[in-house]
Amino acid sequence: MNPWQKLVFVLKEGLGQMVRFPGLSVAVVVIVAAALVQLSLFLGLSKVLDNALLSARQKFEMAVFLTPAAGQGDIQRLQDRLSADARIASVRVVGKEEALKDFRKDPDVDRMVQALGENPLTDSLSVVLKKDVSEKIDDLASDLKKDTAVEEVDYGKGEWEAVSNLSRLVRWVGWFLGGFVFLTALFIVSNALTLALWARREEWVLLSRLGAPAWMRWAPYLWEGLLKGLLGAGAGILVLVILKNTLGWFLPKSGGMEMFLNLPGIDWSSLYVTLIVLGALLGFAGALWAVQKKWVRELH
Amino acid sequence: MMIQAFHLTKIHPSGAKVLDDAYFSFPEASFNVILGENNSGKSTLLKILAGEEKPTSGVLRVGSSDPYELTSRQKSEWLKEVGMFFHDLSLFPDKTVEGNILFTLQLKGIHPEGQRESIRKLLEHAGLAGKMDAKPGDLSSGQQRMVLALRAMIFRPKLYLADEPLQGLDPEASMVLLRLLGELRKTGTTLVITSRQAFPEAEETLPVLRGMLQWHRLAEGKLGHWEGITP
Repeated sequence: MNPWQKLVFVLKEGLGQMVRFPGLSVAVVVIVAAALVQLSLFLGLSKVLDNALLSARQKFEMAVFLTPAAGQGDIQRLQDRLSADARIASVRVVGKEEALKDFRKDPDVDRMVQALGENPLTDSLSVVLKKDVSEKIDDLASDLKKDTAVEEVDYGKGEWEAVSNLSRLVRWVGWFLGGFVFLTALFIVSNALTLALWARREEWVLLSRLGAPAWMRWAPYLWEGLLKGLLGAGAGILVLVILKNTLGWFLPKSGGMEMFLNLPGIDWSSLYVTLIVLGALLGFAGALWAVQKKWVRELH
Repeated sequence: MMIQAFHLTKIHPSGAKVLDDAYFSFPEASFNVILGENNSGKSTLLKILAGEEKPTSGVLRVGSSDPYELTSRQKSEWLKEVGMFFHDLSLFPDKTVEGNILFTLQLKGIHPEGQRESIRKLLEHAGLAGKMDAKPGDLSSGQQRMVLALRAMIFRPKLYLADEPLQGLDPEASMVLLRLLGELRKTGTTLVITSRQAFPEAEETLPVLRGMLQWHRLAEGKLGHWEGITP
């Protein structure tokens, strides 16, 4: 047989076997679909939490306090330097009078300032970072502190680090749980596919005794696994679409919870593509795992 | 395909001796019968020749190779030239009669395209006209055995091994099968079949008694009595 004939043989045999044992095929498809729905929930929740934390981090502004001796030239120099920095989104000069005005909104502070009789504040710069450099805020603060016109840089280091750590934790927990669900699903899928193999063990022996080369046994079986994985992914996506549309009808009547359908950062198309890839992987790897089992290798 | 066996011994795990220092030779394109009663070991001998039951000791040459020395890939290649009609080799239940035969052709590396007509003719010849699209479950046991016999010869093997091929066939079907076997032999196939009754068509008959080969065919073509057996 030439490669094309081999391919046709594998595709046809794999499809035929899948149709031949409908119960086991449906079981595998359902398991893959359930695992993928679970995985997408993890992915979705992890993404939402990550986005929420990212958005919280982006609200941090860095305040660069200048020394009392810093003149207009220093302010301009620093402003130019920061504006030219690729990590920074915007820079705004906050004059000491403006800062005092803000402070005096608090009656206690106002009384203290009156008692002092003069403005104790210095000019400062309010700096907003770009989204993708938020992790590098420490480096930027250290750089700025080296400038002689800068007295202090304040960006709420403690809160910043707490949010960063939480964000990392959420990401790792998401990966861990997702990985755990995937491996569990792989184990179950592989065992379900092994059952399918057990059901046709006599045929495998027969094929071997009739002189079928090894690929004629395992290649259609791997294709069958891949196909079941893809069908499982399709079923999983269908469940998600139905859930999305059903909840779209239900949630608005439940106190503005429709926001969950427009979760920030969830790109549904990418999620569907990811699920198709994961489904194919589950089916293929599950089948590969099954054919590697000792009793299967000894079938001849 | 020529078969040669020297000092071939087979002892089952139970301790029963099926072959004891047997030696025989079947020339290419010959018709050979292994004759014996039930449980005399003739099926085991056939399986040894098919590469399915490794002899305990001795030398076996089937064609140019010892089937037990081959790698898995080489064994697949070797099996492409061997047709087997054994009781424990069933048809594929989900495939039609035609599908079973076409599938066998594919397993033997023959592209099935254009074979449909010759399969139809063969089935007609074997009294199975109109059964091309039937599933094995729809056939009688005799018809199933006939399809199994045909499946093992459709690809014109160099060696055809059949375990009591006429068992379960009616006289008419038996005649058809014998005629087909004769035709197969004419194309150069070596036939080895087991039976409980003699075949007048056979060139060589090896009687098997009490689990032992009673006669040994020597490589040079002489028959010799084996001293260890009392008939």
